[in-house]
Amino acid sequence: MATYSSDRRSVLKILGAIGATCAYPYAGDELFAQAAPEHQHQHEAVPHDAARFLSEADFRTISRIADLIIPETKTPAASSVGVPAYIDMVIGRNSDQQALVADGLRWLDAEAGRQAGKKFIDLSEDGQIKILEPLCEAADAGNSLARNVQFFALIKKLTADGYYTSRTGLLDELGYTGNTVVSSFTGGCVHEH
Amino acid sequence: MANKLYDVVVIGSGAGGGMLSARLAGLGAEVLVLEGGPKVDTRTDFNTHALPHEFPSRHIPIMRPGKPGYDGERSRGLGGKTMLWNAVSLRFSQRDFKGRQHDGAGEDWPVSYADMAPYYDSVEREIGVCGNLDHLEDLPDGVFLPPIPMKCSDVLIKQGAAKLGIPVIHVRKATLSRATRTRPACHFCGNCMAGCDVVAKYNSADVNMYPALKTGKLTLRPNSIVHEIAVSDEARVSEVRYFDRETRAEDTARGRITVVACACAQSVALLLMSKSSRFPTGLGNSSGELGKNFIPHINAGFELFLEDLIGNPQGNDEGFLDHAYIPSFMHKQKRDYPRSFGIQFNYQNKRSVGWARSIKGMGRAYKDEVKANYPAYVTFSPYQEMLPNRDSYIDLDYDHPDEYGLPSPRRQWKLSETDWKLHKDMKQKCTDILLASKAKIHSVSSEPTPNHEIGGCRMGTDPKTTVLNAFCRSHDVPNLYVVDASVFPSSSEKNPTLTIMALAARTAEHIADRLKKGEV
Repeated sequence: MATYSSDRRSVLKILGAIGATCAYPYAGDELFAQAAPEHQHQHEAVPHDAARFLSEADFRTISRIADLIIPETKTPAASSVGVPAYIDMVIGRNSDQQALVADGLRWLDAEAGRQAGKKFIDLSEDGQIKILEPLCEAADAGNSLARNVQFFALIKKLTADGYYTSRTGLLDELGYTGNTVVSSFTGGCVHEH
Repeated sequence: MANKLYDVVVIGSGAGGGMLSARLAGLGAEVLVLEGGPKVDTRTDFNTHALPHEFPSRHIPIMRPGKPGYDGERSRGLGGKTMLWNAVSLRFSQRDFKGRQHDGAGEDWPVSYADMAPYYDSVEREIGVCGNLDHLEDLPDGVFLPPIPMKCSDVLIKQGAAKLGIPVIHVRKATLSRATRTRPACHFCGNCMAGCDVVAKYNSADVNMYPALKTGKLTLRPNSIVHEIAVSDEARVSEVRYFDRETRAEDTARGRITVVACACAQSVALLLMSKSSRFPTGLGNSSGELGKNFIPHINAGFELFLEDLIGNPQGNDEGFLDHAYIPSFMHKQKRDYPRSFGIQFNYQNKRSVGWARSIKGMGRAYKDEVKANYPAYVTFSPYQEMLPNRDSYIDLDYDHPDEYGLPSPRRQWKLSETDWKLHKDMKQKCTDILLASKAKIHSVSSEPTPNHEIGGCRMGTDPKTTVLNAFCRSHDVPNLYVVDASVFPSSSEKNPTLTIMALAARTAEHIADRLKKGEV
């Protein structure tokens, strides 16, 4: 991928090639950026439902957070479509993220203990949301360097990525209709102008 | 075989090399094409119709399992970048070729629109370009197949822009809106940039190379990475030196004429690498201008949700990605900078939902918000012309060799004061259009991004300030040509590929003429 510095005053150095295709701005193209180079695993991506990297207890807590970010509605929750396993796989490949997740999980249990004398996983749903919501707000604002906020931001990002790239998330929840053959294009309008 | 003297050796098989080689073979020349990457098959080798959930990392690889690697970084592979391009095909106008005459800045091309028009015609007839006849002064009409209807979201933006007096037109793309004898019409799967497996979208492998191979005049050597072009004492190319991508076995090729068409920075790098006692700073670089005047397109990016579409059911509007285009309009208005910009938009592929990360909140409200915004999501990217400056150039990085031990091309660019003025105004005008279209702007790029590599080996009339003449021939080396976007003296704000192909067709005719006259 292209890497370059972005200091206006200095000469901008682009080390890699400029993209061969249209510039997808930002998130659109960076979606899969955390992925390691792909291996030849096509059509075997049945999500595993157990941790390969995280401890069982940590995996359960991550699953819980993922479900609080994307709960069950008419479509399933994050943990029902392999999101925790996806998170486990991504952070299993990244030592910085591993340290952040370890710190974050430790902080959650400490905070749960301070508020209710319990571990985070044993709190009621309301109790868990009460701890996570301020982190979510700070993460959305995007200007906090606090470890617990960074931790939440990472889990939210991976949950969104994992969920909306899943078959259920993309096709059932969002109703993606592309990748099909149509004989003529009519504009895709479903409303009157 | 290795010592056979070909009429023309062409390095690269993309938009420039593919078009030029096929035209030359058609005109009767014996052509050898050296392609750095593998021979790929559009129909079977790309992951055109995959979905992210099929892969553990959710990243869709370019190639299918077991298929020859397509090096995305260098676009090494038969067909080059045309295998993955978005096919936007815009003619440059007389203003684009003669910008300096128009506003006193930048450099003029040594050719005019009238010189290029016949070649645009013939290229469009061959590759198939859909579009509308818009009768715009600054974006000449061409030989078009019928346009594809706009998307619902395009119509909303068209209505918004109309309030500001800014026209929105049908996009012009080298994608068939109607079947030809050899290629089917587009089926609107929306995965154009993942390789078009039916070749409704032009690529040079299927449209140029494979048919040309059938003439018996063209020889293709894939996996042949050229690392040096050697010259004789008389300043003529004597041989092209390359190695096999897999075995690394060295070989050479000889042609009466050699054409470099490796895509902008790679072509410049190859010439810079080809140092000799005759040309100590790079082949054909007596002007010292080789690598200079690097002028990529500079773009900004917006992500937005159209309020009129929020909460709608998702219709199938993938189409062939973008169906509309906003041509340059600022060149007609009073402003304090030269040149202009055009806007490509609504080219997202809805397999990608990266913006969901940055929707605020969590829980049911978050999930509902993502779903409501999904049918309303649109990308919006203006592209500006950048003027050449001394701080923007391509050189070689010997400290970071590539996997073959060759120095990497290093691209350096810096916007001038007027480029910055244009950039800021461009973002402002885009914001105006989006607000008039009742868009909720989700993200705006914080820094300019380069796209479409252009310049570094410019053509011109003065051998002291340019590298190539008006026929893309080296001023210094009479049997050396370059045909890709590196030769552009100015970039326009329009996508470069159609102009690369028109130049290739023109250069092919010129070379065939010289061969016929026995000049080489």
